[in-house]
Amino acid sequence: MPDRSADLVFTNGRIYTLDRNRPWASAVAVKGGRIVAVGEDADVAALTGASTRVVDLKGAMMMPGIVDVHAHLMMGGQAELFELRFPPTASFETLIARVGEAAARAPEGAWIIGGQWGSDLLPKLNRLEALAALDRVSQGRPVMLRDDTYHNRWVNSQALTLAGLSASSADPEKGSIGRDAATGALTGMMIESAAGIVERTIAQSGHYTEEMDRAAMARSIATLNSYGVTAFLDAAAMQPILAALKGLDDRGELTAWSVSAMPAVEPSFMFGIAGDELIALREQYRGVHAKPDFVKIFLDGVPGARTAAFHEPYTKDPVLGCCFRGSTIVTVPELIRWVGKCEKLGLGVKIHCAGDAAVSQALDAIDVVRSFNGPTKLKHHIAHASYIAPDDIARFAELGVVADLSPFLWYPTSFLEGHKQTMGEARALRFWPNKDLLAAGALLAGGSDWPVMPNPDPWDGIEGLVTRCNPSGEFPGASLWPEQAIDVATALEIFTINSARAIGLADTVGSIEIGKSADLIVLDRNVLETPAEDLADTKVLTTWFEGRVVYERA
Amino acid sequence: MNAPDPSSDGRIPVTILTGFLGSGKTTVLNRLLRKPSLAGAAVIVNEFGAVGLDHLLIETSEEQFTLLDNGCVCCTVRGDLMVTLKELYRKSEAWETPPLTRVIIETTGIADPAPILHTLMAETELTARFRIGGVITTVDAVNGAATLARHSEAAKQIAVADRLLITKTDLVSDEALRELRHKLGHLAPAVEQAIAYNGEVDLDLLASLPADAAADVIRIAGRFEAAAHHDHDCGPDCHHHDHGHHDTHHGIRSFSFVIDKPVAWNAFARWLDYVAALKGEDLLRFKGLVHVTEEPERPLVLHGVQHVFHPPSRLDRWPSADRRTRLVFIVRDIERETIARTLVKFAAIDAASIAAPVLAAA
Repeated sequence: MPDRSADLVFTNGRIYTLDRNRPWASAVAVKGGRIVAVGEDADVAALTGASTRVVDLKGAMMMPGIVDVHAHLMMGGQAELFELRFPPTASFETLIARVGEAAARAPEGAWIIGGQWGSDLLPKLNRLEALAALDRVSQGRPVMLRDDTYHNRWVNSQALTLAGLSASSADPEKGSIGRDAATGALTGMMIESAAGIVERTIAQSGHYTEEMDRAAMARSIATLNSYGVTAFLDAAAMQPILAALKGLDDRGELTAWSVSAMPAVEPSFMFGIAGDELIALREQYRGVHAKPDFVKIFLDGVPGARTAAFHEPYTKDPVLGCCFRGSTIVTVPELIRWVGKCEKLGLGVKIHCAGDAAVSQALDAIDVVRSFNGPTKLKHHIAHASYIAPDDIARFAELGVVADLSPFLWYPTSFLEGHKQTMGEARALRFWPNKDLLAAGALLAGGSDWPVMPNPDPWDGIEGLVTRCNPSGEFPGASLWPEQAIDVATALEIFTINSARAIGLADTVGSIEIGKSADLIVLDRNVLETPAEDLADTKVLTTWFEGRVVYERA
Repeated sequence: MNAPDPSSDGRIPVTILTGFLGSGKTTVLNRLLRKPSLAGAAVIVNEFGAVGLDHLLIETSEEQFTLLDNGCVCCTVRGDLMVTLKELYRKSEAWETPPLTRVIIETTGIADPAPILHTLMAETELTARFRIGGVITTVDAVNGAATLARHSEAAKQIAVADRLLITKTDLVSDEALRELRHKLGHLAPAVEQAIAYNGEVDLDLLASLPADAAADVIRIAGRFEAAAHHDHDCGPDCHHHDHGHHDTHHGIRSFSFVIDKPVAWNAFARWLDYVAALKGEDLLRFKGLVHVTEEPERPLVLHGVQHVFHPPSRLDRWPSADRRTRLVFIVRDIERETIARTLVKFAAIDAASIAAPVLAAA
């Protein structure tokens, strides 16, 4: 008779399953990384053999691992492991001093990459004197420093040389190269698409090795694990990201389920092949836990930069005038063609829509596709379901479109202050109609958009969903559209089973049910009984991925 | 006679002769080229290697263009078809070859005629001088049914044809021929079938091809209407054509729509964009004669092959008193219902004005 005993048994827990048929249990049994029993302590006793590891939860709350529907991994890990870090508040002098220290440590010829300087420093850096200061401390090493918007770079003369740039180089389309007004000499400032010239030079130099990429990805995933995240969707997976995920998975080192969205066109902040060329490679990057099952399309920009597409105009602007509404960067027929193509390939589409007109356009396109193709099991996402015309709320559910709730901006933030300036206060505050979407039957899925959020702590987002107030204590007493607050049980669903459905992994993750992956987290409190304003303080004590401990709080 | 087809607009017709390997394309071409009416025709053989027109060739030549002894020009396509057609035209204009009256392109056996049609439809340098002179598909009476069942490419060649030519009929029984014709009738209900005995064609195949697109749409839509009427009066021998044939036809089917009310062109054009974007690959051929709200006296003629649409052409007047919009679809795995639903939703067409094909009240 085969050994029926489990590898691992949890007892004496307050286990919140996220399974509506059985919300609470006290015991769970795990075998081969899968959940084999959910119930009371007596139910798992029969599965407890001589070699079964028994974990007494001592009344602690356990729940399924968090599923982050929208994150950008690798960049965070890369910066932490391999790059020079300084805060956006760092002064020019500090910045130069830090580069000097790094240059002294760096091998000859090695790139020094760092970030992120505050955009307010741009005029000061965009001068020949500043470049000379940077050159003096770099000791011949090429240097590239990113700004806090991730759109611009400041580089030294050695980097300009390696990138083949000189005073006679023309500005690229949608970008500019900083020049001295008097002489035309380059200052090292690379604005918008010009940043890509240097980023590509670095990528092509072999600076980033596959080992570095894997290490950076592993570091990013370890960070996610520490907040209880055991599954995520990488929302702009370029080739190095796909390769790192597959490489980790093949080595048994991937400690979360990963779903990847491959960009349809090269994003403004990442470089390399995209679109059909990248999508064609997807099967070579598929692993047991690595699933390149989505395509990412950027439909507009962001409200703060007046690049999001809205139905109503932005506030008056000296350059853009009175009536600028922003525009989408993909036409409806193009979007339809993309969604149609992705459906043929069995891929979901995540569409970045920051303005309400972009949301309308994405819904229109999906409506056309549904009308021609009929129902589908694929999930398409509107990211970020934030500014939505009232008439569009019901269409999410009607068309089966996922409302990607990310980043955690459903409470007052500096982003919102920026929106008030560009959109006017009243309109800016009609941000994140979560309750309306919920009432209309939409599938809401939670995500961090890390590193847009400086860390991917879902408990910050969960508190914000419930209170609509900033959990950090910034903006005290202020709340954002409090009528759109939802209860904590719903917020937990949004960050677990709903996101699991959204990324196509509902059979594997998102709830504690027999047959699902044993992705389990133990918390320092019962979050269903915690005062709402304390939810963000929740700490994950242990994270289990497929029945293995991948994080333990010190 | 060398004069261009009087019913055409002066452009040189390009006829595509296709059909599966061994279906008798070359034999048919040989016989056609003997007809005096084909003097001035150029033949483009769209494959490498030996050209099978041996008895007509004066000698094997390294030249791309060879003058046949009946005055026709024969050439093989070595590069792109557009270059070859332009060169044929240039030579004819420069009197290096006899005046060009017609082009016949013989494709390789498994060739999909769609890319050739795309070239003829989309290249503006060609559309000014050449027009599509129809697709003739040869079907071998001996192996045709088996080939059709096995190869979706064969079914597609038949479905998109303007004429079917059944060859080697002298080698099969009348019963077998009847069965084949019945099968072809299901797959391509609007396409006329011609018969070749010993390679001889029983009608002037080229002359029978539709010279103008509007007449073609009207004729095809008329056939659907007649068929629908026939079904309506279904007697004991009636076959319901929609059932049970999908497997053997690789999902290929044809249907038509008749729309009573004028169509708003902007909305209709938007629908065309959508259908090309989402279903282009499976829209094997689409033909339309459209009563446009904005210009009710001058109907638009539409022609699409997969995702490529010929720029719509406007007729000076309606060919007859029947001013209904007629649309004909040859598709793979697209339901008639999908087309109907999306026409209503995106082309602003009133559901009540879309009729299943019924006989016109005349």
